Amino acid sequence: MEKENEIVKKLKNFLKENLVRTTVPKERRIFVYIKKDALKDAVKYLVKDLEFKHLSTITGVDLGGEIEVIYHMAYKGSIVLSIRLTVSEKNPSVPTITDLIPGAVLYEREVHDLFGVNFEGHPDLSPLVLPEGWPQGVYPLRKEHKLEHLREMTSKK
Amino acid sequence: MSYGSTIKVPLGPQHPALKEPGNFLFEVDGETVVDVKPRIGYNHRGVEKAFELRTYIQNIYLAERICGICSDAHTTCYTQAIEELLGVEAPPRARYIRVIIAELERIQSHALWVGIAAHEIGFDTLFMYVWRDRETVLDLFEMISGNRIHYAMNTIGGVRRDIHAAMVPKIKKGLDFLEKRLKYYLDVVQTEQTILKRAAGVGVLKPKDAVDLCALGPTLRASGINNDVRADDPYAAYDEVPFNVITHDGCDVSSRMLVRCEEMLESIKAIGYALDHMPEGVIRVRVPMKVPKGEVVSRVEAPRGELIHYAKSNGTTKPERYKVRSPTLGNIPALCKMLLGGYVADIPIVLAGIDPCFSCMDRMAFVDVKKNKGWNWTMQQLRRKYAKK
Repeated sequence: MEKENEIVKKLKNFLKENLVRTTVPKERRIFVYIKKDALKDAVKYLVKDLEFKHLSTITGVDLGGEIEVIYHMAYKGSIVLSIRLTVSEKNPSVPTITDLIPGAVLYEREVHDLFGVNFEGHPDLSPLVLPEGWPQGVYPLRKEHKLEHLREMTSKK
Repeated sequence: MSYGSTIKVPLGPQHPALKEPGNFLFEVDGETVVDVKPRIGYNHRGVEKAFELRTYIQNIYLAERICGICSDAHTTCYTQAIEELLGVEAPPRARYIRVIIAELERIQSHALWVGIAAHEIGFDTLFMYVWRDRETVLDLFEMISGNRIHYAMNTIGGVRRDIHAAMVPKIKKGLDFLEKRLKYYLDVVQTEQTILKRAAGVGVLKPKDAVDLCALGPTLRASGINNDVRADDPYAAYDEVPFNVITHDGCDVSSRMLVRCEEMLESIKAIGYALDHMPEGVIRVRVPMKVPKGEVVSRVEAPRGELIHYAKSNGTTKPERYKVRSPTLGNIPALCKMLLGGYVADIPIVLAGIDPCFSCMDRMAFVDVKKNKGWNWTMQQLRRKYAKK
């Protein structure tokens, strides 16, 4: 776990008070909780200086009132560092990281579709996975939408 | 040659290049592709929402059905995630069996791809030959698990069926046959002009682009980047079973063929080793129904590349959130890059080049567009129907 702890230490030094907390549950897994405003700096630092060049995916989680956005990044394919932040459910907005990692383009669109998180500066946030004619403002993976509700909505034509 | 103006050509969702639905809006200048916009989601089944509504046991069967080709990769990823949340480990013998099944699956998936690639470039003889030989693996699966496609081998805490001593010589015999055939195909894809003319220098993905666009699996390795979850982040028994990570630096469709063909040969070696070194003992441990609060990131090298699952539990019998990201979605940005500047005629083979699997990719939201009653049985209805027999 030496490498993992070293990465955590470097991140702490770089992000200072913008870093909320970190956990290293096991080998090759790191979770880092950061403040929203520090996202761009943190990702830039991870990509440029720590060689976390690969973005595995972006996960959205509905925490009830808040949406958590988790960026799973990989270090030379081996250590997975999940950098995470929360945004309010009413106005969920995060800066895009597509300028730093072009491969994030579809992952951000997916989270936008399913959780309604607005990625500021993203080149094209048109629906990626939801069908044409899907009602605006309905984000199916939010907990408020029960299965029956979604089924009713989609069967109405 | 440029015509000075461009036209937009929508291809799909139903189109001749692929057997699964996906829409690509191409902007072409004469014969050259200058822009491409992907539109996916035609295979929505709402798997992620469905995970939240089912128990951990039911979810094994759901994970199995995310994909028809790499079903074992998804259940391996799922079961090892839940095992980690529970704090249990699969017994050593189960871990070896997982490797054997995963590698057999890699062989049949790559063989399927080689056949499709041959078909896309109009070389149907190779397509028929490869698919005939692929049957060997499917027959082995039938012998081991009773099923040719959804083998349902994994369960939380181990595997469901053992590989008995009597099966070992049969598996080895099948693999010997495959090895001979694969060596022949490896020679064919390197020397046959029909293939070289259509695959060499086509669908180029430079190493820097591959990394920037977060490409995965054989697509990434064919651009010369050494990256394989089995080696980098070992799971199951991959820390004990030796194998080589295959890379080629041609960056084109031809390299992708080479990588996949050589990977199949590596898989045969790995299975041989695992069969010879399988530890004795139980194949599964019993686990409780309730999973304590926690979260976990689980990764597997599926035949198409890195597969990542994220699980969050809340102390009940059902997960709070379950996220699946299949390799195909990760390769779409790289695919768009490969298509740019290429010829319209090369679109099918470049599309097929990443080995796309739309069922895997489109699993996220719940969309029940057209209800087909025969398929919408509830668990209770099914239980009632089959319990009588």
